[in-house]
Amino acid sequence: MLRRDFLQAFGSATALAPLVAAGLLSPGTAMAVTVNRAAFDAKTAADALRLIGAASAESSRDIQLKAPEVAENGAAVPIEVISSIPGTTRLSVLIDKNPLPLALQFNFAPEAAARFQAKLRMAESSRLRVVATAGGKHYTVFREVKVTVGGCGD
Amino acid sequence: MSDPTKIRATVKGSDGEVRILIPHVMESGQRRDPSGQLLPAQYITSVILSLNGRPVIESALGTAVSTNPLFAFQLLGVKAGDKVSVAWTDNKGQKGGAEASFSAA
Repeated sequence: MLRRDFLQAFGSATALAPLVAAGLLSPGTAMAVTVNRAAFDAKTAADALRLIGAASAESSRDIQLKAPEVAENGAAVPIEVISSIPGTTRLSVLIDKNPLPLALQFNFAPEAAARFQAKLRMAESSRLRVVATAGGKHYTVFREVKVTVGGCGD
Repeated sequence: MSDPTKIRATVKGSDGEVRILIPHVMESGQRRDPSGQLLPAQYITSVILSLNGRPVIESALGTAVSTNPLFAFQLLGVKAGDKVSVAWTDNKGQKGGAEASFSAA
């Protein structure tokens, strides 16, 4: 994928001006990614999916989601996500039953493989959902993770 | 919180693995102190990974990322000596970052 296609896929730099002004992005370092922060405040997975534009994501076998079947400690659940979908530019992770389901989003330039490892907080046993964005389309995969001790409250 | 951000970059074949550890409280805003008051949320909202000064991974985080976040990424077509850096910002305006050079495995 050409760099300019990549930039166009995320909209123009102008759209980012408010983010730069708000100090969320530093000038000169922005990759021209638009982030919908409102999606991170959504209280249900359905709302979060709608706000990231992925309400109608189709399920895909080309996204690997590695997570423990049973997580003893909900405060740090290790996950690994690998997308084999060509041209994946964004991976989003949602935890359906968390108070705020959208956990994170990673945006990848062509120099980065569409994969990551991270540790997440899970309030209780829940569906863990990954959305991959490629060529403006959304693909999804999910797994159920049982949590023995929740990681959001005390 | 005052511990420095750590970044480790290793060349593996033609690709490079980057591991990042950010000491940060990642307070979710869901917890209460002993008197029952909600502890205000303080969490990292943005992490940017750059290769030789050019952003290659930009992330937006919510409150569901664990305390002291640990991330691993894979960059393509890197060689020993390439520079990789990470910069983060939290919702209170605190910032941090680190830089490293790729070393052979």
